[in-house]
Amino acid sequence: MSKNVKIAQLSCGTEYSGIQPEIEAAAKQVNAEMVFADVDYDDIARIEEDFGLEVASPDLKLLMARAKSIVDGKTDVDAVFVATCFRCAEAALARSEVRRYIYEKTSLPVISYSFTERTTSGTLLTRMEALTTMARRKSLLAREKQTGLTAGIDSGSTTTKCVIMKDNEVIGTGWVPTTKVLDSADEAFNIALESAGIKKSKLDALGTTGYGRFLIGDKLGADLMQEEVTVNSKGAVFLADKQKGDATVIDIGGMDNKAISVHNGIPGMFTLGGICAGASGRFLEITARRLGVEITKLGDLALKGNYKNIEMNSYCIVFGIQSLVNSLSTGAKPEDVAAAACYSVAEQVFEQQLQEVEVKEPVIMVGGSSLIAGLPKALEDLLHVEVHIPKYSQFIGAVGSALLVSGLVDTSKK
Amino acid sequence: MKDTDDVSNKDVITKLIVLSSRHMMPGDLLYKIYALQKDVIVKETCFGAEVSGKKEDVNSLIRDIRILDPYGIFIKERGFPIGDLRRCRATSGGGARPGFHQIEVEAATLPLMSRALLEYDMGVKSTTYEKPAKLDVDVFKKIIADCLHSL
Amino acid sequence: MSKILIYPTNSLVLADLVDRFGHEPLTIPQEIRKKVTSVGLDSPPLNITPEDPKIGLKYAAVEVPSGVRGRMSLIGPLLERAEAAVVVSEPEATFGCMGCARTNELVNFLIRAKKIPTLELSYPTNDDDARDFVYKIAEFLQSSEVLKHE
Repeated sequence: MSKNVKIAQLSCGTEYSGIQPEIEAAAKQVNAEMVFADVDYDDIARIEEDFGLEVASPDLKLLMARAKSIVDGKTDVDAVFVATCFRCAEAALARSEVRRYIYEKTSLPVISYSFTERTTSGTLLTRMEALTTMARRKSLLAREKQTGLTAGIDSGSTTTKCVIMKDNEVIGTGWVPTTKVLDSADEAFNIALESAGIKKSKLDALGTTGYGRFLIGDKLGADLMQEEVTVNSKGAVFLADKQKGDATVIDIGGMDNKAISVHNGIPGMFTLGGICAGASGRFLEITARRLGVEITKLGDLALKGNYKNIEMNSYCIVFGIQSLVNSLSTGAKPEDVAAAACYSVAEQVFEQQLQEVEVKEPVIMVGGSSLIAGLPKALEDLLHVEVHIPKYSQFIGAVGSALLVSGLVDTSKK
Repeated sequence: MKDTDDVSNKDVITKLIVLSSRHMMPGDLLYKIYALQKDVIVKETCFGAEVSGKKEDVNSLIRDIRILDPYGIFIKERGFPIGDLRRCRATSGGGARPGFHQIEVEAATLPLMSRALLEYDMGVKSTTYEKPAKLDVDVFKKIIADCLHSL
Repeated sequence: MSKILIYPTNSLVLADLVDRFGHEPLTIPQEIRKKVTSVGLDSPPLNITPEDPKIGLKYAAVEVPSGVRGRMSLIGPLLERAEAAVVVSEPEATFGCMGCARTNELVNFLIRAKKIPTLELSYPTNDDDARDFVYKIAEFLQSSEVLKHE
């Protein structure tokens, strides 16, 4: 049984939104418990002066006072979860500044989240799992080299990816669309083994990640089943050879997105977006279909176009696509439409997710969508920084899993 | 006195008694409550006591208790039953909940309230205290001009 | 005895003064009590479930944060029963234990919109203020506009 991780809850509105049990259930599933820093009334009364942010809501004052108690070392915790109501501007300011404060003043992993009454423990689980992994497995996360012969399988919502790695090199890959989770995993695994010329029995260890990680991991007897935030950040800095110092990892997935601030290869602050399909790879798939081009060709097409020539009224996967279709019917060029689709996705990620993390260079973009060249280009335009796309970026989760699981081989098998 | 197990129906209320009294400590209060022999559960707290029981029993006890020190006893209702684990810091992640800080700050105002209530009953006239009005803008302008002139 | 809504709705001082002068204070613990003693509800600590913010839609639209609507599902019924109100503005941070400023603004508006006899007063800042505070509440609670509801 691994150590019970103490997650400090800094929040406003969770009890009155009816989601406190959901938070506690998600924490319990990853063997963690939510704790509340003890503060005095004087701490609350003084906090606006101490912290520097004036707020009208007393519960936000309490939130800030509890944050200070953690930074001052008066409350012993392993990780921090900051949560406030979605659509509350005052709370969003406090949440954002408190998250930054914890990140800058402590070495604790921190995540912030804005919830509605519809937030469930299922939504929170991956976030809590990533948070506790950072707190619990710092030594594993410090691993910079892959050793031995290992495999990683990333069971995503759209595609299933597998890599075989040997002595710090990728020697085989497999990539299939996800249909039945187990069948797709078997298929990708077999393709990768075949391309590497390796028999399954020769592998030292297997790691799984993605939505299907537990199902596949149990069936194949995986040595590590890990959520995507941890493995993607490890995989990204490994492949981009940016293991030291700061980095930002961005993965726009088929169903959700990850934006992760990484320091020395260890994720410190991250967001997972999954509310809007308009900010996902799915938006680009539908655009490609409407344009009658392969998704793999959409990016190059976008590079030839100019997004400014298309008027888009919405980021929405229904109404935004409608704008694109309307512009096609009035004679717009397909390359401009492709560029506008990439810009729309990038802009929504920029506006709604990248504000939640510290964007520090290098910015590394990973996942299948990073190969749709128009998308990283649009992000470069928005961020005004160079966006790095490492080799094997579409296999990021599988590489991260193969890398991390080799650390377990070192300690347990050798 | 009743067993805790009996107190689970919806007619049961809980009231918080907070003392701001020169001649009564929480222990004394508890003794007085016991002496009244009402059908309620009582728990001593650092601020006074909590009593729980059927609405009419609790309210009748509260009326009797107020008489003991009219200006030193303050009362409010509490949502949770006595000793409820859902609101106890020992069983729910540590850290005082906002209600504790509330009582902390309100208890600090009680000596002023006590004195005001006593004076009200004695017929002491209020010296109605008006907040100062905002400075007239023309006067303010002149002050600014004078300040700038003297620089 | 009139039903007096106090704001902040959990204040010890306000609840005590209303009770002391012979009226029934309408306070949030009365609503919390109903929740936490309901058999079959299991959503600790307050037994507020995601259904409650939806009930709060009666008072605030869906674009209002869930925490405001969840609070309104408790305060709304008190407001509906209220025959008069005592409202304290700019209190100390934890006076009366109201955590959300947006809820405070909405409740104060709804009290005014209901046009019931309402005493609005500032949180005291010194001894004279405190005396004035108690006197004003005492006079209001014994005034004919409040007593006419008895």
